[in-house]
Amino acid sequence: MSELTPLELEVGHLIVDTLNLEDVSAADIEADAPLFREGLGLDSIDALELALAISRHYGFQLRSDDENNARIFSSLRALAAHIAGHRVK
Amino acid sequence: MAAGWQGQSERGSPWALRLILWIALHIGRGAARVLLYPITFYFLLNGRTARNASRDYLTRIFGRAPTLAERIRHIHCFAATILDRVYFLSGQFDRFDVRLHGVEVIQARAGTGALLLSAHVGSFDALRALGVEQRGLPIKVLMFPDHNGFITALLHTLNPALLETIIPLGGIDTLLRVQEAVTQGEMVGMLGDRVAAGGKTVSCDFLGAPAPFPVGPAQLAAVLRVPVILVFGLYRGGNRYDLYFETFDAVLPQGRREREAALGQWTQAYAARLEHHVRIAPYNWFNFYDFWPQD
Repeated sequence: MSELTPLELEVGHLIVDTLNLEDVSAADIEADAPLFREGLGLDSIDALELALAISRHYGFQLRSDDENNARIFSSLRALAAHIAGHRVK
Repeated sequence: MAAGWQGQSERGSPWALRLILWIALHIGRGAARVLLYPITFYFLLNGRTARNASRDYLTRIFGRAPTLAERIRHIHCFAATILDRVYFLSGQFDRFDVRLHGVEVIQARAGTGALLLSAHVGSFDALRALGVEQRGLPIKVLMFPDHNGFITALLHTLNPALLETIIPLGGIDTLLRVQEAVTQGEMVGMLGDRVAAGGKTVSCDFLGAPAPFPVGPAQLAAVLRVPVILVFGLYRGGNRYDLYFETFDAVLPQGRREREAALGQWTQAYAARLEHHVRIAPYNWFNFYDFWPQD
């Protein structure tokens, strides 16, 4: 199992709590595994709820016109890296 | 479920569609409407899935087997509304007698954001064009990008501005776009009666039997917490369309777990309103696939 950084673990907790994922704990999420469809199997409504939770939590908006969205949402590691670069709180 | 509506190939050849479009624009609606009869018969003879689905639906709504005349009328009504999309999308409103019912429901929400929930009945383009026509009523529409690809692409050459109002379904950030639109006070329309391949569904009673409905609209309404307005644009023959607007106040609880449990009830309330409207205008039902699949 790959080691999660503290921020990855924190974002993992946010995902699990926001989406009420049962049978999944943040520490079990593979940092490089896909979050959507395969992997954790999240869908577009999950993506929206997650984006709203991230904006509440870290104080910046994920925007639909960001052409990097597919990459940002591709894995926990990518998402945490994006948050690290944009968070204002 | 495997052979749902997405399994159907688009019917009619591109040249025939281009010809009808040309006649519609250059000769007129009357001439183009004459062509609807051969088109209707072509569908009845060749479109087995559509033919069977139409007969199944008519049997359910009438409570008896439909006559041949009723079956022809159903397909003809569908063809007539597709033809009229040409005129709605090219902004030729004056041709039609469009009657608005409950329009204050939507006017009260102008500029504050709402979801417009409709279905594959009658014409949704009448409403879209109205939104563009009357400024201050910006309407975006959630659509499957490849559904009816050729017809939709051809029709949108008539009005490229409307093409920009489409939010294609299927992307990771699709619903983020919806959220941004309603936050900016826009209205976002969606059709709540068709299930995407692999999409989550809930079984609702519809015309006396259980049918799968998508839970996406209910989930979206719950997350966005914006008002939902039901909209049905029904074709009444000749050049008349009736647009109905209704407030939809089915409630969804806030917590995710409680919400998941309430999705079925919310969707059933929508299915009941849909049933109300198709009972008034039965030939406006345009889901020509097995809507009540037997497992």
